[in-house]
Amino acid sequence: MTDVNVLVLTGYGLNCDHETAFAFEKAGAKSRRVHINALIHHEVFLKDFQILVFGGGFSWGDDHGAGVLQAVRMKTHLGEDILEFVQKGNLVLGICNGFQTLVNIGLLPGFDGDYSKRSVALSNNDCGNFRNDWVALKTNPPSPCVFTQGMDFLELPVRHGEGKFYCDAENLNRLISANQIALQYALPNGTLANRKFPENPNGSICDIAGICDPTGRIFGLMPHPEGFLNITNHPQWTLQKETLKRQGQKPDFSAITLGVRLLQNGVAYIRES
Amino acid sequence: MAFQLEIALKPELFDAEGEAVRKKAGNYFGIHLEKVRTIQVITLDIALTDEQKARVQSEIFTNPVTQLSSFSPLAVPFDHTVWVGFRPGVKDNPGATAVEAIEDVLGISLKPGEAVYTSKRFCLTGIDLTIEQARKIASEILANDIIQQWKVASSKEWSPESGVGIILPKVILNHTPTVATIPIHSDAELIRISRERNLALNSNDVPVIRNYFLNPEVLGQRKSVGLADPTDVELEYISQGRSDHCNHNTFGGLFRYVDEETGEEAVINSLFKTCIQNPTLELAEKKPWVVSVLWDNAGIGAFDEENNYVITGETHNSPSNMEAYGGAITGIVGVYRDPMGTGKGAKLVMGGYGFCVGHRDYSGDLKPRLAPRRLLDGIIEGVRDGGNKSGIPTTFGQVTFHPGYMGKCLVFVTAVGIMPSRVSGEPSENKTTHPGDLIIMCGGRVGKDGIHGVTASSEVYSEHTPAGHVQIGDPYTQKKMHDFLMEARDGGLIEFITDNGGGGLSSSIGETARFSNGCEVHLEKVPLKYDGLDQWEIWISESQERMTLAIKPENLERFMALSAMHAVESTVIGKYTDTGKLHITYNGITCAYIDLDLLTSGFPQWEFEARWQPPQKRGLFEPVIREPGDYGKLLLDLLASPNIASKEWITRQYDHEVQGATVIKPLMGVNRDIPSDASVIRPVLNSHKGLAFAQALIPQYSAIDAYHMVSCTIDEAVRRLLSVGGDFDHIGGVDNFCWPSIQFDPEENPDGMHKAAQLVRASRALKDLCLAYGIPLLSGKDSMYVDGFLTGKYGEAHKVSAMETMQFSTLGVIDDISHCTTLDCKVAGDKVYIIGKTLNELGGSAYYELFDYVGLNVPEVRPEIHKTMYQKMTHALKQDLPASVHGIYRGGLLVHLAMKAMAGDLGMRINLSKVPADKPLRNDVILLSESPGRFLVTISPENEERFTHLFKDSDCACIGTVLKEKHLIIHDINSIKCMDLTLEELKTAWKKPFGDLI
Repeated sequence: MTDVNVLVLTGYGLNCDHETAFAFEKAGAKSRRVHINALIHHEVFLKDFQILVFGGGFSWGDDHGAGVLQAVRMKTHLGEDILEFVQKGNLVLGICNGFQTLVNIGLLPGFDGDYSKRSVALSNNDCGNFRNDWVALKTNPPSPCVFTQGMDFLELPVRHGEGKFYCDAENLNRLISANQIALQYALPNGTLANRKFPENPNGSICDIAGICDPTGRIFGLMPHPEGFLNITNHPQWTLQKETLKRQGQKPDFSAITLGVRLLQNGVAYIRES
Repeated sequence: MAFQLEIALKPELFDAEGEAVRKKAGNYFGIHLEKVRTIQVITLDIALTDEQKARVQSEIFTNPVTQLSSFSPLAVPFDHTVWVGFRPGVKDNPGATAVEAIEDVLGISLKPGEAVYTSKRFCLTGIDLTIEQARKIASEILANDIIQQWKVASSKEWSPESGVGIILPKVILNHTPTVATIPIHSDAELIRISRERNLALNSNDVPVIRNYFLNPEVLGQRKSVGLADPTDVELEYISQGRSDHCNHNTFGGLFRYVDEETGEEAVINSLFKTCIQNPTLELAEKKPWVVSVLWDNAGIGAFDEENNYVITGETHNSPSNMEAYGGAITGIVGVYRDPMGTGKGAKLVMGGYGFCVGHRDYSGDLKPRLAPRRLLDGIIEGVRDGGNKSGIPTTFGQVTFHPGYMGKCLVFVTAVGIMPSRVSGEPSENKTTHPGDLIIMCGGRVGKDGIHGVTASSEVYSEHTPAGHVQIGDPYTQKKMHDFLMEARDGGLIEFITDNGGGGLSSSIGETARFSNGCEVHLEKVPLKYDGLDQWEIWISESQERMTLAIKPENLERFMALSAMHAVESTVIGKYTDTGKLHITYNGITCAYIDLDLLTSGFPQWEFEARWQPPQKRGLFEPVIREPGDYGKLLLDLLASPNIASKEWITRQYDHEVQGATVIKPLMGVNRDIPSDASVIRPVLNSHKGLAFAQALIPQYSAIDAYHMVSCTIDEAVRRLLSVGGDFDHIGGVDNFCWPSIQFDPEENPDGMHKAAQLVRASRALKDLCLAYGIPLLSGKDSMYVDGFLTGKYGEAHKVSAMETMQFSTLGVIDDISHCTTLDCKVAGDKVYIIGKTLNELGGSAYYELFDYVGLNVPEVRPEIHKTMYQKMTHALKQDLPASVHGIYRGGLLVHLAMKAMAGDLGMRINLSKVPADKPLRNDVILLSESPGRFLVTISPENEERFTHLFKDSDCACIGTVLKEKHLIIHDINSIKCMDLTLEELKTAWKKPFGDLI
């Protein structure tokens, strides 16, 4: 079985790199944490990888808009390399700060194959605060998104102050009609949150939690799949453990979580293509 | 020529930041505003072409989807507009990152003096909004004079062309650095100069200092390097080193203790040695997992074969009290440097917090510098940004409201790290400096910030407290440094590492040089934020985000290359020697030449009179109260009391899950909204081991006896850990004392002897409990002088002292996190058990607090009895017997039954007649007494027998059942129903006070 190599960006205040790399290993890939400058200084080369991850964290302290300065640096020094990486059919994943970076580079939404135009934004949460909570999420089965294939409903943590998805009506319609909306905030019963707080934690239009480009190979989301690495990350795991016990069962502590499953989809896609 | 860019959200978009200001104006001052819009102002003091300006505007500072921007003032409508910018020299983090981005995009590098400054403009609209109201909003919500400047303009006086005008908060000192020598003809003269220069020298130290500099042998040696009288650099070095903050003179002091109750008269030579050091060393012998204690920046314990954990706790009270946001963010970012500077350096894995402030809605006559609610807002946001932007989960914390904290607030911050137990084959806790090692300063640059921080924090707060020590932490710069240092450590490049905190280089180099026994420092090599700092300022500045390292010359090249890769500034500023001397030069001229052992030799010990009057003698007694008739109303009021009410609004702002390691989160239960007893993380992701962490803070008991305050606080912190699955045999502790001044003075501190006696008793309790429970103190700090002078109605100033306070943190390794549990009732039909005995101990309780009573019967820990129960509890959890465990803490049985029920969203039927007590007790005593050593447990019918068998010789009784009906029902000692509330009623009351804050 050929290795799937994942590059997880680090440096300049980024965090989540360790657990994101760990999560991809759990998902069956070989992952490596690489400092942004190691790419810029050509000590490491994108061509040696098939999945590029813009992870969560406060790159440049989120000053001047979350993800803005990271986008500026990546675009200035690696714009061409990244486009080439995408054209080769590889995958790009942006989580939280990474999602914010992808929309500021223009890799998302990538209308008409234009990967440099900013046409959507992630702005301050309506609640006015950074917020850490778990949310219910609904996928969009017809979406081309590689990462959400075969999944319908999942729960993940959100941890952000600037996660409100916004774009104008025209672009929203394009996202909807092309099924680029891959992930939406939902109520526990699986129906859309319909902007209800805190189920929709930031006031995103259309409950948007994640979008992909028209090919489905570039995916950005605010929730943290790597934040659901083990069942013990789930806020109700002790209740689930007790409930299983009453049925004479034991929880499987090495079970693959839906967070890791989402990454597995990406790994499987590379392997099959 | 400087120019300005204004950036705003498009008018049709919701402005969350503006809305928050609008709400505060309404809630805090009843000022009704229709709308508040915020404008980001970027002032660029850089020579750029129009083409460059346009690129910067579009590529960096304007989001085409959401924002509009203009190089002339934006025409956003307002009745009054408020501009807020930093004062010169205050850390402007976004200004610094803006420079990075501009240099990156334009491929230029800024010339000396060029810079970018950020500020904000708020556009306030409101019918008949007056200029006074706008000023009030500016000065009491938007700006703090200590770090910021502001301007208010009405729409009439506003010039649409020039706007606020261009204000450059640029530091221009126009000063040639000069070393002053200080004459020491007499003690009196030196004391006078010390006062003038804010040296804060202790007058008892002055003769020792003079004797040293007048010593012929010393004079001879100094002559050889061109020195005679001491220089300001040297006296500042001594002053820093001798400050209570650095030297802990209080805990090292001599106490003459008299107990009027027992007639005991004792002379205690150093509370630190007798109550902290000795017991900890004794326990370290018995506990193989104790790796390193009592000398480094933090304590170290064994996590597993490959890894050690590191823990320490700090306070940052004085600065937070003056500038809440800046003080708090500096505090948390600062404590995170301690594990980084422990052993060869630890990776940060979690943080905790404890805030003590005046009541949020205080509306009395006293005028604190910052209104309590504003102070708390700032503290919360400071710790939020400091923790979140460091990528470190904040997994536990608590808040205590009490009027005593209006004199000086308390901000406790705790840091936990993890490090490989061996680095390049050597134990990672070992480090030393060798002659020839290079001294490296790494991270931020040096400015005038934080000058005299340690001496200011060693004083009572007054309007005259120098504001210079207030800073704004920079988690971004520090995070870069953290990632760099972890790689440098793993590369075996680090000989020694320590942080620059209080005392700056003076402390960090002064202390590390003792290992090699000497150093040479070239101050002109220290990178500065701006020119014109005097040598002594460079030496003691507390500018943040800096570490001091020792590096072997042969590793320098690799170290510097790695540093550059991580975009971190590192500079060689000298070398370690074995001359026995601290030798500082500036451009080759010596400005300090002191024997390193001076600070550790011959200084007089501080002395305190401590006099203990028992509570009865002080006039305390049990209030006479008949039993309440309405327990429902009582419970709802207790749940809505500020110290018990839900503080979810704080917890949610703190990233408590980053690093993917959380097992038990700060909020648990079916609706994820009830505070858990403790937090658990899995710091090594592929291991089943966990780290459990808890804190406790019950200063209210000090009103009766600080001995029991400390023992109950420790007992609570231990039970919290055990409740989630902590192992009683592996608990490390961190003590953080915050005490009012204890030096008796008939005018200034008439009750000093009592406060000193309280400190003696508190320290004795610390020793007794740690020995009884087997808790080595892995780390600890003390912060004295938590008093302040507050102006009252008539311009008179009142001295307000905090309650004698100690926060205790517990940390323990859990072998298998799959055995962890939480407080929530899980299955209807389960039996509810209470473990531990209830006594008539209402003294200092939350119940009495409702009526402003203190009482006399303070809760007491019975270590020998509790100990066996705690071992059994560990055993029970390892066998997964309980379905849920929760300690009984403040508010007693009544409040904590409610917590369990709300957490599980399941009801309970409880019968008080079954509750084990030392003698027949009234219902109110059973429900509200805060006796320590108690747990509430729910058990499945099938585990009941094994559980009761395990606890057969302890106080353990079934007091009820878990119900599927969402009601908390209580039957009194005569089995008559005395309370029936729905869970919804409980939650509504509990969330009401702060529920609308997010």
